[in-house]
Amino acid sequence: MTMNVTCSDRERIFEDGTPAEWAALEAHATSCPLCAQEVRGWKSLSVAAKQLRDYSDSPSFWPRIERALAEQAGRKAQSTGLRRWLLFFPSLSIRWQTALAVTFVLILTMSAGWVYFQRPVEPRDPSLLKSSALKEVESAETAYERAIDKLAAEAKPQLDNPATPLLANYHEKLLVLNSAIADLRAQAGMNPSNAQLRYQLLAMYREKQHTLEEVLEARQR
Amino acid sequence: MGTMGLALPWRARISSVPRERGTRVEPSEHFAGGPNLAAVDAQGEDAALAAACRSGDLRAYERLYALHGARMKNLARNLVGNPVDAEDAVQETFLKVHRSIASFRGQSSFITWTYRILINTCYDARRSRRRKKEVANEDSEESPGLEPRAPGAHPALRMALERALAKLTQHQRDVFLLYEVEGFRHAEIAGMLEMTETASKNTLFQAKKNLRQMLEPPRTSAAGSR
Repeated sequence: MTMNVTCSDRERIFEDGTPAEWAALEAHATSCPLCAQEVRGWKSLSVAAKQLRDYSDSPSFWPRIERALAEQAGRKAQSTGLRRWLLFFPSLSIRWQTALAVTFVLILTMSAGWVYFQRPVEPRDPSLLKSSALKEVESAETAYERAIDKLAAEAKPQLDNPATPLLANYHEKLLVLNSAIADLRAQAGMNPSNAQLRYQLLAMYREKQHTLEEVLEARQR
Repeated sequence: MGTMGLALPWRARISSVPRERGTRVEPSEHFAGGPNLAAVDAQGEDAALAAACRSGDLRAYERLYALHGARMKNLARNLVGNPVDAEDAVQETFLKVHRSIASFRGQSSFITWTYRILINTCYDARRSRRRKKEVANEDSEESPGLEPRAPGAHPALRMALERALAKLTQHQRDVFLLYEVEGFRHAEIAGMLEMTETASKNTLFQAKKNLRQMLEPPRTSAAGSR
């Protein structure tokens, strides 16, 4: 059975015609110059489209893709391994999870304890005095200073009016010692825990004591 | 790529060769009744290829390339406009397929899915190149068809066609390229471009009408009164 088509069917057939409709349109075009031109023009586009087809192969292209795929597969395998390890824990039963958690906490606690007890003891600075020792030193200093002041009071008359050049020298020496003691006391006031300063101060007091004793001995001679 | 792994509403399968064109250019969609053994074979091969790719076998990807590499590259070249970007897009498509094959559910043909990834990758490449151009403040539009083509091609005709294609809408251009150049069926194109088969046919019709207007010399008044 031959299908009859007219010029008005042409566009519909162009858009979605069946093979039978196309055959009928081509048959119609043999006697219709306008439809013949339209069919020719329509088909020529399909022919022209082949100009955009180039399936030539480039030999280096697949190796390039293959390398990129292999690299990606390597990275994927690494991340999958890590993920599998992380996913291992939830797959265990609740008892095993609890046991593992308790073990982990125990290990953590023991490690922390071991680290605490094995920590290196910080060496204490021997030149620093504790507050109780400082009080003892200060009170002993005060008593010692008072005793030396009594001694100085006894030697005062000889020193104020030295009868001999020796006594004049003792007087000079005591002035220097008093000045040094005053400096050391000022420094010890700013840094009371410094034992070195205390030792120096003590040495000055001893020197002052010996000097005063020598002054008193010189008077008795 | 937001479209990867999406369910497609159709089950058309794609053969590894372009749609055969006989003496008749149109239509190629309407098959005679009866079982289509070639289509069944294509379905089996498609599923086997998808399974092999899912297993991570690089030889499966080589097979995919052997079957579709040339067509993918040609389509990419026509979409992005130059062979260098086209090769990059095809390579990126293979990498995306490799990354996302686990999300492929088999609701569409594996090859359709692959071409959809390719088309979206080409869109991304085009957008990216356009942005770079804007940054570089290039005022002249790059001619997409200056690279050498196969021997026997008619450069003037090709360039005229490419210029005319550039003036079409994106969908019209894509449908024309997929149907007329690459030989896909409307059902396949519908899956790739997420449209109905009827819309694909209609878009092709509009594309060809526009192309004729741009490419053909003005017709006589008698010829124009259709």
